[in-house]
Amino acid sequence: MPRLPLGDWTDSAVTYLRDHFGPLFDVISAVVSGMYDGLDAVLQAPAPLLLAGILAVLALWLRGLTAGVLAFAGLAVVVSVQQWDEAMDTLSLVLVATVITIVLAVPLGIWSARNRTVSAALRPVLDFMQTMPAFVYLIPGIFFFGVGQVPGIIATIVFSLPPGVRMTELGIRQVDEELVEAAEAFGTAPRSTLLRVQLPLALPTIMAGVNQVIMLALSMVVISGMVGGGGLGASVFTAISQVDIGLGFEAGLSVVILAMYLDRVTGALGTRVSPLGRRAMAAAASPRGTRLWKYRPQTSVAVVGIVALALTAGGMGVLGGGDEKAAVPEADDVGKGRQVDIGYIPWDEGIASTYLWKELLERRGYEPKVTQYDVGALYTGMSAGRVDFETDSWLPVTHRSYWEKYKNELDDYGSWYGPTSLELTVPSYVKGIDSLADLKGKGKQFGGRIIGIEPGAGMMKMLNDTVLKKYGLEGEYQVTTGSTASMLAQLDRSMKAKEPVVVTLWSPHWAYSEHSLKKLKDPLGAWGKGDGIHTLARNGFAGDEPKVAKWLRDFRLSEKELTGLEGAVHKAGQGHEQDGVRDWLDAHPGLTDRLAPVG
Amino acid sequence: MYRLQAEHLYKVFGADPEDGVRRLEAGAGRDELRESGTTAAVIDASFDVREGEIFVVMGLSGSGKSTLLRTLNGLNPPTAGRVLFDGRDLTALSPRELRRVRSHGISMVFQHFALFPHRSVLQNAAYGLEVQGVGRREREERATRALELTGLSGWGDSWPDELSGGMQQRVGLARALATDADVLLMDESFSALDPLIRRDMQDQLLELQRSLKKTIVFITHDLNEAMRLGDRVAVMRDGRIVQIGTPEDILLRPADDYVSSFVHDVDRSRVLTAGTVMEPPRRPDAGDCRCETVAPRTPLADVLQVSARVPHPVAVRDQAGEVVGVIAKERLLAALGDHDGPVTPCTGDTAHAAPPAAAPGVPAQPRKEAASA
Ligand SMILES: Nc1ncnc2c1ncn2[C@@H]1O[C@H](COP(=O)(O)OP(=O)(O)O)[C@@H](O)[C@H]1O
Ligand SMILES: [Mg+2]
Repeated sequence: MPRLPLGDWTDSAVTYLRDHFGPLFDVISAVVSGMYDGLDAVLQAPAPLLLAGILAVLALWLRGLTAGVLAFAGLAVVVSVQQWDEAMDTLSLVLVATVITIVLAVPLGIWSARNRTVSAALRPVLDFMQTMPAFVYLIPGIFFFGVGQVPGIIATIVFSLPPGVRMTELGIRQVDEELVEAAEAFGTAPRSTLLRVQLPLALPTIMAGVNQVIMLALSMVVISGMVGGGGLGASVFTAISQVDIGLGFEAGLSVVILAMYLDRVTGALGTRVSPLGRRAMAAAASPRGTRLWKYRPQTSVAVVGIVALALTAGGMGVLGGGDEKAAVPEADDVGKGRQVDIGYIPWDEGIASTYLWKELLERRGYEPKVTQYDVGALYTGMSAGRVDFETDSWLPVTHRSYWEKYKNELDDYGSWYGPTSLELTVPSYVKGIDSLADLKGKGKQFGGRIIGIEPGAGMMKMLNDTVLKKYGLEGEYQVTTGSTASMLAQLDRSMKAKEPVVVTLWSPHWAYSEHSLKKLKDPLGAWGKGDGIHTLARNGFAGDEPKVAKWLRDFRLSEKELTGLEGAVHKAGQGHEQDGVRDWLDAHPGLTDRLAPVG
Repeated sequence: MYRLQAEHLYKVFGADPEDGVRRLEAGAGRDELRESGTTAAVIDASFDVREGEIFVVMGLSGSGKSTLLRTLNGLNPPTAGRVLFDGRDLTALSPRELRRVRSHGISMVFQHFALFPHRSVLQNAAYGLEVQGVGRREREERATRALELTGLSGWGDSWPDELSGGMQQRVGLARALATDADVLLMDESFSALDPLIRRDMQDQLLELQRSLKKTIVFITHDLNEAMRLGDRVAVMRDGRIVQIGTPEDILLRPADDYVSSFVHDVDRSRVLTAGTVMEPPRRPDAGDCRCETVAPRTPLADVLQVSARVPHPVAVRDQAGEVVGVIAKERLLAALGDHDGPVTPCTGDTAHAAPPAAAPGVPAQPRKEAASA
């Protein structure tokens, strides 16, 4: 069986598309991100509780008092766990994706309801879209649309389009044929038949499809959080990366609350907009049904309420004026408000150094924007020029595969911390095993497993190709693949149960301060010399911002400084990283001028 | 004056309908075509519908009635043949002109009512006018009037699913009447109704027809309904029209065994009328006594009752009061029993005499009294 070079073809197709249709993708990207930014600005403007109130009135109008109260309570929970801004980002993302999906899905659904050929041709495409794992097209999506919300929105559209199309088609096909014939028999033109008979009767089914679209969009939130989509997805992603179960739950719960709110509201909207639904509702409203908890305001009352709250919100938003930044002294204003895009992966030293540079650049008059990514997405985004720089590349080993792939589009600004070390690690209660050589013959004890991390990590390749061989451990041990988060979770679990476990780990890592662990010695030097933590930037960044590039090239931190910085950031807590950095910088006067000298 | 004319209509469903028609014309049968996956729904149908008549198409389920009906308003263009509406060839019209014919000239009433569930009764009745582009006020006025005609005054604001089946079909009828189209196509419009309601609707249709004088093509699989409603009836079998005639023609002179076996179960007393079975008066004084008489259109069921009360043949008088015929009891029985020819004399040893008739005016002994005596 000859190897079908399907992957290569796909690769060249993607490159071809990027090279020849770049402007088209830029336009799409601009439109989508424009929609997102606009909606997000509106949702972020009012005070959280006020907007929660507006949304609750909407629920009150659509579903009654109980729903209104529950909606407010749920949204208040989101506010109180400090996920509101993220929730509104997510809501914007979901709504934009949903609107675009519906705009595409409904006409497609109508078309395939009226044309069997279209329907037959569309079916496999829809199946493909729905079942292809989102990650597979998410990363190429970055090539076309850059990192940020857009590829997340596009991926969401691809993923949630199929049910939208299918439900529309189903809804229209379900309409009694005799009714369609009746319309025709009275001389109705085909388009009018669609508008007067088919769509109104298909509306409940179409709305069920819209509801599904929204739910699928929400389910894509985490995935888009990994490619810079931000919002609750980023919170969840951070939480799982750092095995922060508490934050994970809070962010996850916020997703659930949002989902329930959207589900109930769109469900009720479905009955509102469809004539049949309105009828059923009128029939259900018996004269005795006007008990308090069934109270639903008249449309006019609800509109007045929403407008009043919105005006208040708008007024407060204007008066509040947002959080003004302290003015940068003239002498220090190198950046003159120019924007710098910093990307990071949610590893502790990455977060700490990224927010350090955010603070430093702000103090120098720049407007830095930091965005969190999955490793693959970060490299892809930077190589496409969408991210200016990042500070957390472990080279030459850990991130070798990414570096090899993108080194032509990237500049290495050198290592700011090192050497790091890679190692296999066991809990300190595992007796009699102190070096890699000791593992031989003990495979049974560990179930023959070494808990690994992401399969793409350079460390994994090295472990499999070199380390195991040198110590004669091949065959006896299998390296499991997963993620850093799953490795840490497994470590945690084994330690709770006091079971023997061996994991791949590296220093510096917070796990060493959290748990009592033992690094296995490497007498044969199989892991080689340790990685340095490098700063990488996109080609051309040094030309655009020579000053920043120089600062980054000169950037160094000692071990004491790095642990101190990480500690301060950790103490300030998620969402307040920059405050931690400020405290730390305040405690180290002169550091700002050392790291980012104005002269 | 013909409103609708069908000329050698064929409707074949399948991959190659034209080929199907060619094979049918060459003498192939319906079953032969079915083997190759094509369905000949209508085969060589020709008929004319006259102004103001109710033309019934009757046949078993699957015989092609609905398909035939749908060729008459172009919902289902024929594979071959022509449909003329007021002399215009419908098959040659553009889709737009055809839609105009449908909204202004020919309207339709459906088997399962086909009311729009998302529209109120009034909006349903006004649907055709809405398509015509009639303004809201006028449209609602005319729809209200149509609802009155069908006995639904005051129901305009209800919803279709709040009405009984019979009432729903009245809405369907009102919707068809509101457009002022004077040709009505009705596809098994009463078949989904309970027998009693069905009779009501039939009566109401006949009553409306007396004043509105529409031209109606009515489809049914129920022979009694066909006979009751039809001025003329076309009998369909396996896609072909096997006979066209008045109900009495069909009943008295069935074209073939199929039709005669079909009409076997019909309640003849309701179809046959005095006019068709009467004989010329044998005596000039036949109408001179003061006994009850009947009209030529009186169904035999009613003639029976009169005959039971009258001691001699019943006289049939026309509108002018002139005696145009008489019906003797033997004649009545022969007609009901579908017997032609003279009474056969007894051939046994003893000839039975007729039992003595009760004297007129003397009621038979009531049973109750006999029991108590
Ligand atoms: N659209 C169609 N496609 C294929 N066959 C059809 C279609 N419509 C009707 N037929 C077939 O044509 C025949 C006549 O159907 P129809 O006119 O509905 O009969 P009826 O109304 O007398 O019951 C049936 O065999 C039916 O299956
Ligand atoms: Mg039929």
